[in-house]
Amino acid sequence: MLLFLVIFDSVIADDVSLLMVLVDTNPFFWSTTNNALSFSKFLSHVLAFLNSTLLLNQLNQVVVIATGFNSCDYVYDSSSNSVAPNQRTERLLQKLEEFVIKDEQLSKEESADGIGSSLLSGSLSMALCYIQRVFRSGPLHPQPRILCLHGSPDGPQQYVAIMNAIFSAQRSMVPIDSCVIGAQHSAFLQQASYITGGVYLKPQQLDGLFQYLATVFATDLHSRNFLQLPKPVGVDFRASCFCHKNTIDMGYICSVCLSIFCKHHKKCSTCGSVFGQAQTNAPSTSKQKRKSPDT
Amino acid sequence: MPQVKIIAKNFMDMVASLPAMKLDKLYENAFICESVLRSLPPLAKKYVLQMLYIDVPVSAKLLEVWVLADGFSKHKVAIDRLIQLRVLTETVDRKKETTYRLSSTFQINVQKHIVHGGVLPREPMPSNITVRLPSLDDLEAYATEQWESFLLHLISSSQAERATNFSSSMMKIFQRGLLSQRDKETPRLTESGFQFLLMDTNAQLWYIIREYITNSEERGVDPADLISFLLELSFHVTGEAYNSKTLTDFQRNAIKDLEDLGLVKLQQGRKESWFIPTKLVTNLSISLSDSSSRKQGFVVVETNFRIYAYSSSKLHCEILRLFSRIEYQLPNLIVGAITKESLYNAFENGITAEQIISFLQQNAHPRVAERIPCVTENVTDQIRLWESDLNRVEMTPAHLCDEFPSRDVFEAACDFAREYSAMLWEDSKQMRLVVKSEILVHMREFLRSQK
Repeated sequence: MLLFLVIFDSVIADDVSLLMVLVDTNPFFWSTTNNALSFSKFLSHVLAFLNSTLLLNQLNQVVVIATGFNSCDYVYDSSSNSVAPNQRTERLLQKLEEFVIKDEQLSKEESADGIGSSLLSGSLSMALCYIQRVFRSGPLHPQPRILCLHGSPDGPQQYVAIMNAIFSAQRSMVPIDSCVIGAQHSAFLQQASYITGGVYLKPQQLDGLFQYLATVFATDLHSRNFLQLPKPVGVDFRASCFCHKNTIDMGYICSVCLSIFCKHHKKCSTCGSVFGQAQTNAPSTSKQKRKSPDT
Repeated sequence: MPQVKIIAKNFMDMVASLPAMKLDKLYENAFICESVLRSLPPLAKKYVLQMLYIDVPVSAKLLEVWVLADGFSKHKVAIDRLIQLRVLTETVDRKKETTYRLSSTFQINVQKHIVHGGVLPREPMPSNITVRLPSLDDLEAYATEQWESFLLHLISSSQAERATNFSSSMMKIFQRGLLSQRDKETPRLTESGFQFLLMDTNAQLWYIIREYITNSEERGVDPADLISFLLELSFHVTGEAYNSKTLTDFQRNAIKDLEDLGLVKLQQGRKESWFIPTKLVTNLSISLSDSSSRKQGFVVVETNFRIYAYSSSKLHCEILRLFSRIEYQLPNLIVGAITKESLYNAFENGITAEQIISFLQQNAHPRVAERIPCVTENVTDQIRLWESDLNRVEMTPAHLCDEFPSRDVFEAACDFAREYSAMLWEDSKQMRLVVKSEILVHMREFLRSQK
């Protein structure tokens, strides 16, 4: 009797992933001289990482979104078959250059002082839109995750838009990984990774960025169930107020729509509820966060 | 009776079973490194990537720190696989510390890939030479047609309309185990043959390719060469034309066989000849689990046990005929019914209810595939019930022991049988007992010692 050798592929490898990479191209950040990492070096690390992701599984998909100062745009999408694998990098760099020039033209009118923040809220939303489209494409789609390679400081004026993007990612179970390459921690990204269950990491040695990317951020969602990835030491939960976009840890909250204000207002600017008089005479002023709407 | 199963083995198991020398040599080919890497379990892929730029041996402890408690078995599987494929070499030093090291050729090849991006194995021919290239749809239709005619040829040579390039001896090798032929009767499908037909295309393809490769030595072809050629082919772009001149003699021979399987299409121009890889070959390096579910189905099963199969393929009709009664056939539709008789027929041939159900589920028409469950429960339940109907009587080979010399010996024998949980029946009045035949030898010895 013939006996066939039976070896089933016992590990059902469902590690097909869709990686959305948000690359910070803010010229004000990259021009700061104290950067340990130049933009070209940074790009070579990232390109190697993209290549390695595409190498790991032929169904893997990578989409790169450039986060500029004034705009953001799709720079590369591996699912569009027009690009041969050996021309991948050329094509990406070319598109990136076009993007940076266009982004620069947009900013000429305004004069920025210091390092401005880049448009993270825009690129996060674009990534989420793309993911939604993939979700609707059919029952078999790769598992999406977002990786923010971010260096610019947080822009408090984007607080609401970013938080909305984060909650939308949380709802659709898309983890946001953040790799902070700037000098300071980013409170936005800390919250984003914390809320969506992603990994937040600020590499100590930026010249070994690829090793960080390959060790931590290349881990697909399937393998994350079995591995211990870096956990955040602390998360900065501070919010920005809606009126002056300041980062505050104490303030006034509209009891109807939960909008945050640093000062007392007569009327909520978001939902229009009319507030009563603030009680200024109480000694424990720190507990004066509550407001009652005057109906 | 040994259980006969036929499941397409992963290609990489075959690669792993090559001798170490050959395997190391294979890694000099970048495409093999790439496809080996892709075939690894997810965790193993990550380890390779993690160790890619580390030139010193990495201690096992360093890797284990990352693993959560319930992921340890996965970690073990990943590491074992890497060592089996000789991607990692394990060394245990004097202090009993285990360290791993990536195979250097493998490491260099993957590093190159990561820096330069993938490269194409061959440059496609310019389009001004290659006229009348088939469109992607045509190519896929061609591939399916080739493959199905090969399958038809395989299961019943009389039904095939076209002769294949494969010699009859080669065909015999493929048929070995799938068909059984007694004397001069027409060949009959064996149980494994039925199971083979119910597998999805990629799994079937692997089975054939595996037979083809294991048999290659007899034809004077080195299996390692064949493996590397097949893997290289799988990195070509579907639908592009590649010059046949770039092939070696052995490859040119092999590619003719591959055309019969629908893996490539050969075309002849005025001066040049070229081959066009089809989807079947570019999917080769995808592991089985990925591809099985990514195919459009065609079967709709209704609650009244009727099957509608939107297909014009003769092969599909033959497969459905294995377990259902085909009622009529329209140009693009096969209508049948699952009946008790048709199923009993299938069970007799060794097909299990689970196989039928999984076939129906895997090939469900997109319209019903969205629904959960995609095959109605009353049908699946009934199929299972009919199968269990046949298993109402369980046969156990047994032996009857009687004429015991004394009651003590009888009791001792009963206890002995119970100890082995081989006691089937006892009659203490007449001192008779029935035991499973597998312990008969022990029983004899035991009774002898009692005397």
